[in-house]
Amino acid sequence: MMTRSDRLTPALLTAPSALVYAGALLVPLAGVLALSLHGFDFEKGVLPGWGLANYQDLFTDPLFGEALARTFRIAGLTTLICLLVGVPEAWIIHRMDPRWRGPMLLVVVGPLLVSVVVRNFGWMVLLGTNGLVNQALTALHVPGAPFRLMFTELAVVIGLVHVMVPLVVLSVWASLGRLDPVLERAATSLGAGRFTVFTRVVLPNVMPGVMAGALMVFCLSASAFATPAMLGGKRLKVVSSMTYNEFLNTLNWPLGAALATVLMAAILLATLLWTRLVERRALRRLGEVAQGGPA
Amino acid sequence: MSAPAFLTLDGLGKDYGTVTAVRDVSLAVAPGEFLGLLGPSGCGKTTTLQMIAGFETPSRGRILMEGRELTGTPPAQRGIGLVFQSYALFPHMTAAENVAFGLEMRRVPKAERGRRVAEALAQVRLGHLADRYPRNMSGGQQQRVALARALVVEPRLLLLDEPLSNLDAKLREEMQVELRDLQRRIGVTTVLVTHDQAEAMALCDRVAIMQGGRVVQIDAPWQAYDIPADAFVADFLGRSNRLPARAASGEAEAAGHRFSLPPELADRQGDILLTIRPERLRIRCERAPEGPPGLEGRVQARLFLGGFWLYTVETALGAFAVMAQNTGATPLDEGAAVTLDWDAHSLRRLEPA
Repeated sequence: MMTRSDRLTPALLTAPSALVYAGALLVPLAGVLALSLHGFDFEKGVLPGWGLANYQDLFTDPLFGEALARTFRIAGLTTLICLLVGVPEAWIIHRMDPRWRGPMLLVVVGPLLVSVVVRNFGWMVLLGTNGLVNQALTALHVPGAPFRLMFTELAVVIGLVHVMVPLVVLSVWASLGRLDPVLERAATSLGAGRFTVFTRVVLPNVMPGVMAGALMVFCLSASAFATPAMLGGKRLKVVSSMTYNEFLNTLNWPLGAALATVLMAAILLATLLWTRLVERRALRRLGEVAQGGPA
Repeated sequence: MSAPAFLTLDGLGKDYGTVTAVRDVSLAVAPGEFLGLLGPSGCGKTTTLQMIAGFETPSRGRILMEGRELTGTPPAQRGIGLVFQSYALFPHMTAAENVAFGLEMRRVPKAERGRRVAEALAQVRLGHLADRYPRNMSGGQQQRVALARALVVEPRLLLLDEPLSNLDAKLREEMQVELRDLQRRIGVTTVLVTHDQAEAMALCDRVAIMQGGRVVQIDAPWQAYDIPADAFVADFLGRSNRLPARAASGEAEAAGHRFSLPPELADRQGDILLTIRPERLRIRCERAPEGPPGLEGRVQARLFLGGFWLYTVETALGAFAVMAQNTGATPLDEGAAVTLDWDAHSLRRLEPA
């Protein structure tokens, strides 16, 4: 029999974190949402009336549509490249001699230890018209060099991949640690080559880590601000830099709030779709969501 | 061995830096034989198995299968079936998919694959669980899937790495019977690695007892048990009592107690290390009116093993383990004065290990 206090205990125990969560996240979010429903006038500031005018403005503005598409294009491309680089990288480090594993992991997480501004200035030095990359290409007489690399989506993707790859590596690395190393030998003894062992045995079993890594990279890339602003420049707008602009330059806070709300809703939608369609199925197959589902 | 060897290990050794895991292993396995590599942990038995499987490269020596050198062949092409202690079933595949994996790798057509998978699962009596995932199976069931997976590709050689260690005692005994039966029926040459002497003795045609990277003795289990090559084997296989004595003209003497030596030891002179199994000792109450004079002692401890009583008897020659069949008679009390005696032919001489 559960007594009244037994039933209350979980609620009481979670109350502190729930309060912090509500205070630090839900209240400000509600504030942003409310703000986005107000009008704005350059003389009078935020207007008292309510309405969806900001959203209407956004969705009829081709510039916003372009920025939203660019945001997701950059985030999607970054995620794809991070997976292509990060998953094999985690696998290689996992198979390394234990002596080398520690130093190599440190090298991998290196970009996370450097300030975003310093990191991006580094890329600006490398990618500028007279930067190291173009100097090298010119010296090698590559036709067309020097290329325009700075202030392109490519530069933004490069900058984001640099800092996001560690997230994929670490989350796949954690999954690999839970993998029974004997599985590879079992597959090999049954006649599987290295590539087959990886695709048929290792990859399906580390899918949860791959999925989690992909999700993190996508969300963070879609909402990244500093890297698109520095490597993409003023003319290459993404939603987060537009939001920044509305809040701090135009001072049209309600429109900025509407931008923020749309970006968040779009990311949330993408995340939900992702978990629904891909992750849940992959996890269920491994028995980590619903025990005994397909049996 | 009269039949030509199927698998030959010739002076096999493996070093890791300055550490020698396998010193010198030479043995021959006959076709269809069930051979056990038995020894305590660190004796090199698992490394030897890994070298046969191809996951470790020997530092020296050769591995021959059907007379052909195996050392350069990658593990995937050796045609060896492996069963692991942890089962190593692919968690994301059903029992049937696990079993089918090896056939897929060999590009067996789909229809034939399905038939052979069904056969293999039926062989281990798991036909009804083909669509289960490993996580929804018991340890014994998982081990049987692992066995089916290894056997379905019709391997030339089956390697079993401590296959029953993770099962509980009752299930282990059942699986031993099943495993032995299956191996006989299929006739596949099998090498079993285990630290469990009871398992090796129950399953194997011959056991190779290993110590410190070497094979100390290869014999049929009962032969190794009955005539151990040295003190290590005597202690490792079952229980044994040691009896250091001085031999002179067909008799031995220890701590004032005189007893006769078996005929094959009759010409021994001087110090000699003898051994006798606990079940070869007879124990009786002191007051028994007749019979030969025996070794007097006192019951120090007793252990009830169901079919047997295991007594520890303190004597002038040291403590003796004595196995007495449970005949239904009242057991001897701890502290009881008893007399031990034995037949001379039960004594074995040991080389000190």
